[in-house]
Amino acid sequence: MGRKLQGAGRAIWEGFVIAFAALKANKTRASLTTLGIVIGVITVTLMMMIIQGLNQSFTDQISFLGAKTVYVQRWPWVWDDDWWKYINRPRVTMEQYETLRERITTAEELSAMAWTGRSVTYRDKQLDRVSILGTTKEHSIVGSSLPEYGRYISDSDNRSSRRVAVIGVDVRDALFGPLDPMGRTVRIASKSYTVIGILEEQGSFFGDSRDNTIIIPIETLFNDFGRVGRDVMIAVKGREDISIEDTTDEIRGIMRAARNLKPLEEDNFAINQQDALADLYNTLTGGVYAAGLIIGGISLLVGGIGIMNIMLVSVTERTWEIGMRKAIGARTTHILWQFLVEAMMICTVGGTVGIGLAYLGGLVLQQALPAVLPAWLAASAVLFSAAVGLIFGLFPAAKAARMDPIEALRAQ
Amino acid sequence: MSTIIQLERITKIYEIGDIKVPALNGIDVTIEEGEYLSIMGPSGSGKSTLMNLIGCLDTPTDGLYKLTGEDVGEMTDNELADIRNRRIGFVFQTFNLLPRANAFHNVELPLIYAGMSKDDRREKVELALGKVGLSDRMKHKPNELSGGQRQRVAIARALVNDPSLLLADEPTGNLDSSTSYEIMDLFGNLHEGGNTIVIVTHEEDIAAYTHRVVRLLDGLIHSDEKQAPRRVAASAVAEAV
Repeated sequence: MGRKLQGAGRAIWEGFVIAFAALKANKTRASLTTLGIVIGVITVTLMMMIIQGLNQSFTDQISFLGAKTVYVQRWPWVWDDDWWKYINRPRVTMEQYETLRERITTAEELSAMAWTGRSVTYRDKQLDRVSILGTTKEHSIVGSSLPEYGRYISDSDNRSSRRVAVIGVDVRDALFGPLDPMGRTVRIASKSYTVIGILEEQGSFFGDSRDNTIIIPIETLFNDFGRVGRDVMIAVKGREDISIEDTTDEIRGIMRAARNLKPLEEDNFAINQQDALADLYNTLTGGVYAAGLIIGGISLLVGGIGIMNIMLVSVTERTWEIGMRKAIGARTTHILWQFLVEAMMICTVGGTVGIGLAYLGGLVLQQALPAVLPAWLAASAVLFSAAVGLIFGLFPAAKAARMDPIEALRAQ
Repeated sequence: MSTIIQLERITKIYEIGDIKVPALNGIDVTIEEGEYLSIMGPSGSGKSTLMNLIGCLDTPTDGLYKLTGEDVGEMTDNELADIRNRRIGFVFQTFNLLPRANAFHNVELPLIYAGMSKDDRREKVELALGKVGLSDRMKHKPNELSGGQRQRVAIARALVNDPSLLLADEPTGNLDSSTSYEIMDLFGNLHEGGNTIVIVTHEEDIAAYTHRVVRLLDGLIHSDEKQAPRRVAASAVAEAV
């Protein structure tokens, strides 16, 4: 057994030595042959790189929503039903927010939010379509939006409906330029608000800046811009030691009770979380993924057939060599491995070149699209190429290994 | 003296479709250690078949073949490969050297299949190339060597694993006459060094170098005679040229 294993190891090593010599002598042929593999690997790798890049950027984009945070709203984020089912639902109210606040045990913190879009002016400067978010003091924790300078909205701001504003960096840059905005007054739809803080930079969400925003007390928003017909969203950050499902279940129970829903009635509110977006995203990219794999698979199949063809030529050309090797004591497995290793080497070289070119292509692509090449992707592309060599090299190698030594020697 | 080859009532019948073609019709030959023997015969006489059987490339249809006491008749392909590796040293008419490998690697090949360590291989290859007088050509590839030198490399490859038998198939068939004598001189020296050598040839002047000639005709032994060998020293060749 030991000798057998050792022999097999030698056979594989010998296969490497022989295959390397054969490749060196037939550079043009080998590189033309491996072109199919190169193209296949480039296709698959670039596809995967783009998908990886999109995945990563998607994860980054939605991470501000919070893995442990759920959002109670009238509308779900993703739906496939008829829209009028949702439009007739009752709105989420501040009373329901207060009820949730009182009763919930599985939440670390929760906040209420409402929006309006307005133009904002400071002296002669105006900024249009600013997102005005009315919220409560807890939102600094739930939405991880902390002021970089100054302070956040407080409970007393809400109780007194004070006209105070925490502004995003886009608003600061557009309206104040080099001036310090703290304590100055901005006008939102002719109401004067005092700037009490500046938010940390928030980044963007699919191209929309999240810094083009002003945060004010939610009660002030209702007073100045109307309460009736305005949707409230409740953000609930679940406790770390509790699963998000348990938090969701508790919210559902409290909301159903607050709305007096009968046991058989459907929920008339939605509990949203970032998973819903991730699911939607995966459905959308799944198609791209499958298409990429099919295209790459076909290229690799064509490449593999090319390898098989050239290996058959190589076996025929070297029939005498196979005969000689058998005559001096090569076993069937020695010959088998020699040609398998040769096929695998051609493919591995092709795969490595393909990865290199795909990496360069990725650098170019990065100007337009997010594209990343993780080490596991590079490694599996090379391994996959070797596997193509193994699979498509098997038939020619078996043909060589089965040759009768006398017939083979006569081939010269 | 021990027996290297023992052939008793050997027959070989090839089946081509439904037709049976007899190649050997009952051969008895015994070859002792240290013999230097040639097998002769016209084409179709069965000498190639006999050589393939002796070389363990093929097995007989019937009869007994013992190589150094081991019954070869019932061996599997892998066992035959191992026997060829350890017991037989092949020398071919067309040298059959790997064109892209240097002399060292060509000679090393049987030792790789034997699973020998690198250091042991180096030692044996250097020794074998020394025996054929090519110690200074180890890094040369076949196309950088003359015909005679190529056949010397092939002989070194045959010798390298210390086989019981050197089996040469028309070893001078692709060489000019002076190089042929040079190679036969080398075989003579190897024989004197204790090697058992069987040469298959159709050339009388080549057979004349051997100590025993087995002549085949129609798959049977026509004659089996010992003879006084012709000796040609390298100096005599030089004079003749």
